[in-house]
Amino acid sequence: MTDLPPQPVPTAPFQAATDDWTFRVEELTKRFGAVVANDTIALRVEPGEVYGLLGPNGAGKSTLVKQTIGLLKPTSGRITLGPFDLVADPDAARQLCSYLPQVPMPIESFHVTEAIELAGRIRGGSAKDVSARAASLIDALDLGEWRNALGQGLSGGVRRLVGFCMAIVRPGRVVILDEPTNDVDPLRRRLLWEEVRALGAHGCAVLLVTHNVLEAEKSVDRLAVIHKGRLVAEGTPSSMKAADRSQLRLQLMLTPGMPTPELPRWAGPPVRVGNNLVATIAETDAATAIAWAAEQTSVGVAEEYALAAMTLEDAYIRLTSHMSNDEDDEGD
Amino acid sequence: MTETRAATLVAPGTVERGAVHWWHEYRVMVRWHLASLRMWLVTLTIVQLMAGVGFVLGISLFFAHIPTTAALFVSTGVPVINLLTVGMILGPQLVADQRSNGSYEYLRSMPVSRSVAGAAWYTVCLLGGVPAAVVALGVAQLRYGLALHVSPMIVPAVLLTSFTGTMLGYALGHAIASPMATRMVTQLLVFVVFGFAPVLYPISQMPRWLGALNWWLPFRHMAVVTRAALTSGGHAGVLSAYVVLVLWAIVCAALAGRALGRRP
Repeated sequence: MTDLPPQPVPTAPFQAATDDWTFRVEELTKRFGAVVANDTIALRVEPGEVYGLLGPNGAGKSTLVKQTIGLLKPTSGRITLGPFDLVADPDAARQLCSYLPQVPMPIESFHVTEAIELAGRIRGGSAKDVSARAASLIDALDLGEWRNALGQGLSGGVRRLVGFCMAIVRPGRVVILDEPTNDVDPLRRRLLWEEVRALGAHGCAVLLVTHNVLEAEKSVDRLAVIHKGRLVAEGTPSSMKAADRSQLRLQLMLTPGMPTPELPRWAGPPVRVGNNLVATIAETDAATAIAWAAEQTSVGVAEEYALAAMTLEDAYIRLTSHMSNDEDDEGD
Repeated sequence: MTETRAATLVAPGTVERGAVHWWHEYRVMVRWHLASLRMWLVTLTIVQLMAGVGFVLGISLFFAHIPTTAALFVSTGVPVINLLTVGMILGPQLVADQRSNGSYEYLRSMPVSRSVAGAAWYTVCLLGGVPAAVVALGVAQLRYGLALHVSPMIVPAVLLTSFTGTMLGYALGHAIASPMATRMVTQLLVFVVFGFAPVLYPISQMPRWLGALNWWLPFRHMAVVTRAALTSGGHAGVLSAYVVLVLWAIVCAALAGRALGRRP
């Protein structure tokens, strides 16, 4: 359970029918009546990549996932995995893609090991393989004490981890994980991410659907931001933050009951959520900003302040226009 | 850990198809269903037994001396009720529950073909319905001393009755998106089968128009083929009952397959 060493993408463990396992989405559009849930989305995930799919509620992430695993049919466009057309052949889609949904797995009546092994058997694994893999996963995720427990008595986090094991016990070439760390404790989150990295190291493409931008920043190789059905940005976490590279994030924890102070001209538009006030500033204004923030705390307007590098979350908010919306809300 | 992981982490190399794969998937899906119903199997069996035996014994309370014909009709109709209850009533209600708790999409994302999914569920419904039907018949035999004459035709009769009911329920469960609507439709079906289908009583006791309507529905024919396989004597209309029932079975299986494979 130590950190995994960097591993090349191997081909040896697979008796593969093809060498091409690239997951491609091409000009994918899905309409529900007048609503365009996916609008000409194009992306490509290579084997071994952990690819984040970020976006606010209703952005179209789930619609994309459901089309990938054959639950919805695109209005137009293509989804392929190497030579396999996942839209034309939903049976192939379900065999080659494994899926952890956001909702709890239906395992109330199952024993933990049994649920994982049956999921692996249904996914085509041999009894011997899935038994060994299930035992390995239970150990790796520190689930040993629940090995023989019934699903109905499990806590939300343990149940989530069992669902994660069910999705990866016999992983697809594409592994789709929808908020895999929901309810999971911090220690086991780290163990879970190790397993996700292991999937990548063994040549699976991992599609990580999440709202948790900070966690995604640490976990993904590349990511796409989907907003209102469109793919509005794609790249590595670093490249996403490139536009914000010369900027800093000034955060003021306002004293409860105090009005929003008027920010100097060197600060960008402020966003206030509760007593938390955030604004972007240029790196060159850092000294001035610290002096101003210190003064705000000394006169009692704020309780404390912080100046930090911009995060992926800031880039995400900028891309999905939340900053302007919040600003409008706060201005009212 | 890394070595163990490398040894056990295996992703599919291609798409599996064919009879061997079908058989593997079928067996595993039957195990999945039985495990998922584990906590309810005992309750389900008890309820089924109570329903079957309750009908058989309860009918005698309507009469000071129950006529042999009435006892025979009820006793040979009860197995049909037992066989129908699991697949046609419980089946769609389970699907409605899956839709309500959100697990429906995960279950649909499982890599099993529609024929495997349907066949596995049919097997489970058969296993859930047959024991209670057998016990109900045994109790009827003890209580009324019936002249039952079980012929080998009981096998196709039971298989076809259970299959048609299960596929009808399966199609309803997967075609109706609203869990509440599914529950209401199954309640309606209970009402129709128990009250307005000639399963537990002769069709001659129905208004003519209702009897004619029932000729087009499967329930009467299920009772005809099952009763014919359980009793001796002339069985008019058995062949036509089989024909109608087979047609219903084909249509219901096609509708179930279509509903299960539907991608909006």
